[in-house]
Amino acid sequence: MNKIGIIIAREFNERVRKKTFIITTILTPILMLGLMAAPTLMMLFAKGDSKTLLVVDESQIIAPQLKGNDELEFRLSDLSLEQARTDESVFGVLWIGKDVVDNPSNAKLYTNSSSSMTLEENISSQIEAVIESERLKRYDIADLEQILKDVEVNVMLTTFRNDVSSVEGEAEEATSSVVSYLLGLVLGLMLYMFLIMYGSMVMTSVIEEKGSRIIDVLVSSATPFQLMMGKILGVASVAVTQIAIWGVLICGVSSILMPALMPDDMAQTISAVQSGAMTTTEADIDADMLSALNFASDTGSLVMMFVWLLLFLVGGFLFYSAMFAAIGSAVDSVQDSSQLQTPIMIPIILALIISMSVSNDPNSGLVFWGSIIPFTSPIVMMTRIPFDIPTWEIILSLVLLYISVVAMAWLAGKIYRVGIFMHGKKPSLKELISWIKQ
Amino acid sequence: MYILQAENVTKRYSEHTALDNVSIQVPKGSVYGLLGPNGAGKSTMIRVINRITIPDSGRILFDGKPITDEDIYKIGYLPEERGLYKKMKVGEQAIFFARLKGLSRKEAIVRLREWFIRFDLQDWWNRAVEDLSKGMAQKVQFISTVLHEPKLLIFDEPFSGFDPINANLLKQEILRLRDNGATVIFSTHNMSSVEEICDHITLINKSHNILSGSVGELRHRFGENIFMVTYQGEEELLKQSVGSLAEVLDCRKQEDTPYTVARISLKDGVAVRDAIAKCNAELDMRSFQEVQPSMNEIFIRAVEGTL
Repeated sequence: MNKIGIIIAREFNERVRKKTFIITTILTPILMLGLMAAPTLMMLFAKGDSKTLLVVDESQIIAPQLKGNDELEFRLSDLSLEQARTDESVFGVLWIGKDVVDNPSNAKLYTNSSSSMTLEENISSQIEAVIESERLKRYDIADLEQILKDVEVNVMLTTFRNDVSSVEGEAEEATSSVVSYLLGLVLGLMLYMFLIMYGSMVMTSVIEEKGSRIIDVLVSSATPFQLMMGKILGVASVAVTQIAIWGVLICGVSSILMPALMPDDMAQTISAVQSGAMTTTEADIDADMLSALNFASDTGSLVMMFVWLLLFLVGGFLFYSAMFAAIGSAVDSVQDSSQLQTPIMIPIILALIISMSVSNDPNSGLVFWGSIIPFTSPIVMMTRIPFDIPTWEIILSLVLLYISVVAMAWLAGKIYRVGIFMHGKKPSLKELISWIKQ
Repeated sequence: MYILQAENVTKRYSEHTALDNVSIQVPKGSVYGLLGPNGAGKSTMIRVINRITIPDSGRILFDGKPITDEDIYKIGYLPEERGLYKKMKVGEQAIFFARLKGLSRKEAIVRLREWFIRFDLQDWWNRAVEDLSKGMAQKVQFISTVLHEPKLLIFDEPFSGFDPINANLLKQEILRLRDNGATVIFSTHNMSSVEEICDHITLINKSHNILSGSVGELRHRFGENIFMVTYQGEEELLKQSVGSLAEVLDCRKQEDTPYTVARISLKDGVAVRDAIAKCNAELDMRSFQEVQPSMNEIFIRAVEGTL
């Protein structure tokens, strides 16, 4: 086994056996699922105590039509406002003016403790609805209720792509920008997180070896370039392992659990829609929802997504971690490194900003070039991939990225070779560049 | 036959000169001491030999040829500041360094077992390095340095941080390595270790090589015709007998014995055999021997410039 291999093995074994690695690998998917389920859970658990509001309605129109729910109970009151306000056993008093239909701002809420946005939203939207219908009544239209029911619509746009050719005879697949956007954003953010997290892991570990003088022993056994590449590739293999574990988990969960979790009638509706027997409107499900479910249960495209993710992750990581390693070699402590990190952080953050604009137009000039030029390409391309862009763009981006990885490793190796033996003064960026020329 | 030669090595830093035209020759199979006070340039010399520091001028020859990276990867180097991965387990770590030096995992384990028993470390195989005491960590690093049985070993201050018992153990191991055919170069400012184990020394002071040679030759060279005489009788007796040939430096009666021990310094031009003959004729003499200066004395005198 050659020396780089021995170093990779050490880096990999030491990191993968760490408790923190095992914990983050297991906990992150759970955390993600938790985040997705959070809104539902919050609705379940965040229910406050039920509150009672005294309603003093001088217009006599609104109060009878207010509907309470589990959290809020409206109690009509005959008391005057002043008397009602002295009652501290209730949550508060809602006062509605005589001319509220013509002057909608003439309604006031007095509370005995802090109120909440949802509560205020609830009350004002109810009052709005009552006032709207009161005002409509003034026009004396016959069959008003029937007309209102008739005009109520909810548009669901189903999008099809002409350029993404579907196989003859197969039903065209509906696409959804919303799902692509969210997926792209998640992938881009994930890559961003990995680049920074694992990149700084490389840097810290280079600084540790330099600071503890382990490096003196190491360079009497292997060349600086072997040491640097061994470290970078070792940490990369840890990152790939983590992503692979997640990939297998998610693909497995979606292929096994999704059909099992989905209610039978819903699955039937979806397959009916997919086969074209039913339109989405008839089925009364959202096209976005459909496309999300489609995607989640389509193991093939999930696997493909992970393959792309891995390729860009490894390329992007090698590219950036070479720079992180060079900076780590040049300084004596992590604190000293922050200034030198700026040239690395700027393109990473720029990539994140560009990828935010992908949803506006996944093929704009900025986004296209951002996804081709190696500094920003891993993150930007990852956000673009869910939009079904031409494969040659992805391949081109990958080829350029991997060529730049070689160039960057070469440059970083030159800095590393000088940096690991420099102690004391913190070098400037200019000095780092002068080391390349040495 | 020299295994390693440094020729006219000079290394300047912005504010000071660490080595000024220093040359050393290390004979094959010797224990070579690089001595000198703190800050003299010993560590710089060792780092130049290891190609960690590039000298401004001068060159290093290994087996008569300019030293290469490949040569470096074969030697064993123990740096002054000990570096081990703190979180890594002792055994795994020793195996890692051994494999970097070209041993197979299997071979490394076999040899490590042996060394760990000799250094009484066998219970620490699966412990993290951060759990070890400083002395134990040094033993581990020493083992990692010598495990691949290199022809040339370079130790920078190997005894610092060891208690006398372990320092002694280390000395025995260094001698054993030499007896097995290795050449050992080590730096130290601790002179007591020098006489016991060094064959050759170089004394570096203020970036210069001020003294080089084999230990026996140096001690002889700096001997000052001082002899120790043990005899029966009083001090006056000695003065009467050799007073014309030598000066009596000091005289001390050995307790509970009838003997007196005296140090005498022969006057210029006096032959040792004449002094012995005189003492033998006039005193009841038990012994007559040369007093050689200790390396410590030579060291101090050389550094102070009074040689």
